[in-house]
Amino acid sequence: MQQPPQQERSPTEFLSNVIGRPVVVKLNSGVDYRGILSCLDGYMNIALEQTEEWVNGQLKNKYGDAFIRGNNVLYISADKTRKREPLNIQ
Amino acid sequence: MASATNSTNQLLPLELIDKCIGSKIWVIMKSEKEFTGTLLGFDDYVNMVLEDVTEYENTPEGRKTTHLDQILLNGNNITMLIPGGEEYLLQATPLTSQQITKLSSFLTKQIKRSLRLSLNTMIFYYLICFYTL
Amino acid sequence: MTEETHNAPVEPNAVEGPLDLVRLSLDERIYVKLRGDRELHGKLHVLLLFPAYDGHLNMVLGDVEETITVVEINEETYEEVIRNITVLESQWNFTSEKNTSNEERR
Repeated sequence: MQQPPQQERSPTEFLSNVIGRPVVVKLNSGVDYRGILSCLDGYMNIALEQTEEWVNGQLKNKYGDAFIRGNNVLYISADKTRKREPLNIQ
Repeated sequence: MASATNSTNQLLPLELIDKCIGSKIWVIMKSEKEFTGTLLGFDDYVNMVLEDVTEYENTPEGRKTTHLDQILLNGNNITMLIPGGEEYLLQATPLTSQQITKLSSFLTKQIKRSLRLSLNTMIFYYLICFYTL
Repeated sequence: MTEETHNAPVEPNAVEGPLDLVRLSLDERIYVKLRGDRELHGKLHVLLLFPAYDGHLNMVLGDVEETITVVEINEETYEEVIRNITVLESQWNFTSEKNTSNEERR
């Protein structure tokens, strides 16, 4: 199945697309949080599952659930695969 | 928006960014951080969706780059947006002091030359005027 | 970002927004990571049936344990020495929204 190249994607579209997918949330402090995005809101408050805390490329902590306050979020990053389950290569 | 009238030749700032959708853009943040990537969309807060992103971080150890597939960038810390992309970034790499001195001496030379030229033409025209009168 | 309203969902245990994660942590001990390498462990209170947090993530915590991490550099060996200072606060504690970095449920 081939998807037509999407030229335009608004932030809300992006957000609805990444729910349930593995994401990297980078904070302004430079700390990365990797996990499954369970939900978020318009303030970029984020709830993550299976969260890993990465500082300077090193895994520092793991949390089951984590709430991240939106004001600290620099970006939310996801893999390009859309709608399809990403391959879990460990 | 401050401008009430939107004449045809006047472009609102966000309309310029709207024209960049689908093409490369360079984002400069408040801190020592920059992003380039293809702009897919943005909202009123200038939160941006970017694809094939390169993140540049200026750290004391030097410039660090990270590749990211697709991101939603928080608009809160954006200072400047430049349509285009890396081609501008290459020009923006910091110059060495040697290059700066070379460049400044070249520029002063050029300015002096142009001043001298303009002065010469001024005198020339002045003399012509003087003689014709 | 002027108004911050958060509608309570109809389902009592449904997770609809990220703040529901905080709601589900009510009456439980939570871990709050603050700016400036400070951490709090405490119980998220319920005050007179009202949840003791809001949309700004102001929170009322009880039996709080505050941990301040200080990284010092040893003058002789130039090694980084990480010191954890733990402060026990028996009183309930009010965390302001300004310094809340993120909150994790344990």
